[in-house]
Amino acid sequence: MSPKMPDGRTMRDGQPVSARLNNVVTTEREFDELVTKSLPELLDRATSQTKRFLRETNQWGDDITHEKLALRWGYELVERFVVFGRTEVPCRPFFLLDSLIAKSFSQPDPLCYHKELLTPVGRFLDGLASRAVVSRDALIALFYHFYGFSQAHVVKLLGFGQAESQRVYKNFERWRQSGWQRTMNETGLSGSEIEILEQELRTRPDHLNNEVDRLMPVLQSHYRKSEPEHYPCLSEQKWGQLFHDDYGHDYRVWHLAFCRDCFLEVADRRHAEVSNGLKPQVNLHIHPLKKGGVLALFGGDRGGRHHGNTRAQRLSRTSA
Amino acid sequence: METPELNDYRAHLLDALDDQPRRAAEERPGFLQVLVNHERIGTLNCAQTDPSFAYTARERSIQHLELRSESGALIGGCVAPEAGQKSVRVPVGKGSLTLHVQNHFDGGSLRVQYEVAPGWWSQLATAIGLPAGAAVASTQASPVWSMTTAFAQVVLAVGVVALLAERIPVWIGSEDRAHQLEEELAARQSTQDQIDQVHRQLAQLVESQAAATAVSRTEQDRIAQLNTLIDTVAHTQQRLNAQVVAVQEDLKTVKTDVAQEVQTGMRVAASAVEADRELVRQDLQAVKSVNETLVKQVALLESRNRELHARLALTSLEVAKANASSKPAVVAKNEPPKETPAPTAVAVSDNLREADRQAFMFWVAFQDGTTEKSIEDLVQELNGIKKGPMKSGWYSVEVNLPNPEPPDRFLESVKRAKIVKSVVTSKAMPPAQ
Ligand SMILES: [Zn+2]
Ligand SMILES: [Zn+2]
Repeated sequence: MSPKMPDGRTMRDGQPVSARLNNVVTTEREFDELVTKSLPELLDRATSQTKRFLRETNQWGDDITHEKLALRWGYELVERFVVFGRTEVPCRPFFLLDSLIAKSFSQPDPLCYHKELLTPVGRFLDGLASRAVVSRDALIALFYHFYGFSQAHVVKLLGFGQAESQRVYKNFERWRQSGWQRTMNETGLSGSEIEILEQELRTRPDHLNNEVDRLMPVLQSHYRKSEPEHYPCLSEQKWGQLFHDDYGHDYRVWHLAFCRDCFLEVADRRHAEVSNGLKPQVNLHIHPLKKGGVLALFGGDRGGRHHGNTRAQRLSRTSA
Repeated sequence: METPELNDYRAHLLDALDDQPRRAAEERPGFLQVLVNHERIGTLNCAQTDPSFAYTARERSIQHLELRSESGALIGGCVAPEAGQKSVRVPVGKGSLTLHVQNHFDGGSLRVQYEVAPGWWSQLATAIGLPAGAAVASTQASPVWSMTTAFAQVVLAVGVVALLAERIPVWIGSEDRAHQLEEELAARQSTQDQIDQVHRQLAQLVESQAAATAVSRTEQDRIAQLNTLIDTVAHTQQRLNAQVVAVQEDLKTVKTDVAQEVQTGMRVAASAVEADRELVRQDLQAVKSVNETLVKQVALLESRNRELHARLALTSLEVAKANASSKPAVVAKNEPPKETPAPTAVAVSDNLREADRQAFMFWVAFQDGTTEKSIEDLVQELNGIKKGPMKSGWYSVEVNLPNPEPPDRFLESVKRAKIVKSVVTSKAMPPAQ
């Protein structure tokens, strides 16, 4: 017998699910079962705690963008809770979730919250960057979305050998197949918002690229983790040494993807190998590189100077 | 606020959460990203022979560990106590990951290991005596640092000395002592070159010392490599000494005057190397200690702040756990449905009542003009410890409550102290700043 609660939730063992989340769970299996059933409660709890945090830190606004931000954060917290929680049994799930959240928010600058990042293009960039912190596919894709680098360009820029370049190609492939779409979904950007961004990139590329250029330092300084302890900016000479002596491969990927200044410097230095001699610059791309997509690099499809290129690429993409 | 768009988004996220276990289970073990305290610190390549990954954190313990696939799917992880250890086993594909974290208050270490479950093939292989790893691709060549070339040269120098020893009887016969000494000098020169090279590297290292705090990791790698080089030089030294003995043995059978000369030459070469090695070692020690001091100073400032926050947050985790383990499961199951209070400060102190000898933390503010001395006295009277510096007028104090004493009554008694303005319990932050 499973009586219905007034709000429609089912009861088990004579208790509503939310009450069971306050009780002790003793086995991993019990934890998994309970959590699978109570995802809505868990998400709502994590979301409301995030809202509270935003309110208390004067970062709240009563609009859908803030609601979405809180949901996205709640989601990320619950995702971790689901995986970590099973290693903490016996425990009381709600207490455990609360302590995970408390711990998260006690980090320095836990949320990337900046007013400018609440615009569609800001949310787009923020979504990409926050995903790149946990996904290497997204990390590699930043080179494309920010600068228009194809997989071949990325491999050359990073000075990778055979094995590593295969990995980069796989990163691009997975990103194209599912990673990008999942990231857009998790960011809460709707199809129409993305379409509007595309539209703006088509009609006013310089305007949008300047905006990206302006937002990048804000965004990158937040998500460029491990700073300054482990992966600081390097001098031109140090970068040269790193490439010449062939070490620090992870350093190259992680830092260059998240530091515009170092990227521009290294890309410029290596541009004989990387490009056709044009200066590297910010060059926003909304959709992932289509399969076998070839594109002109460094200004080729930016700034309306070679507008035809952009349109051709986009047309072939939509028809693909 | 409820709009269709928001509801859609929420539904989307719930689907993704629901799908998470399936996605994680589907991941094939390939490259796994290791994240510590939300920072990517390395990659574990599961295709390697004996795939394992080790990491040591300084200044801050490893509180938060995540393993994610290249696509970002969360495969496994845990939160670890600030001091102490935690081990977790996570099934991945056909194998499993073992995570082991060992923390102390100002750092920690981590070891991740991937093990493939033995399949029928490897069991069969073991049975018929084939090497188990035969099917696995050999380890990737690690990036070659320019100093490996130097190692090779040192080894070459040793080779020359060895040749020298072998050829002694021939030289005796031909009386070609000039040539013999020349070769020996060349060998010595070659070793000297290596030493010079180490000196140059050290000089460079000292130069980059200015940026040491920032570039500490790179430097540490170098120090490790220099250490290896020192070891190699030491090894050379040993072999050189061994050669001296060998040559001595050989020379016993030939004319004493020749023997004397060669022997002296070898001695000089050997002791020069010895002296240089000592110098290098001293230089290295100096560089190391300066580097460490710099790194520590910078990190300390930041970690103090973070540590305070993390410690406070952790208290609530510990409370949740202690609370859980203090209640037998049977009792929990038979509990009547009860009200579900939000876990506020009150709830936390409730839990503390159940938890045996839990350290209990609270925030206290003092009347204006209270001296540091009388604050210290009060804290001492309570048998408490002040945790961290004052924050916006609030001190955090930790006490060990005797078992039967309820925190509320205890707090009441603290409040009655003359110098105390206010007392609160709060999970993470000092109250209203
Ligand atoms: Zn930020
Ligand atoms: Zn940089």
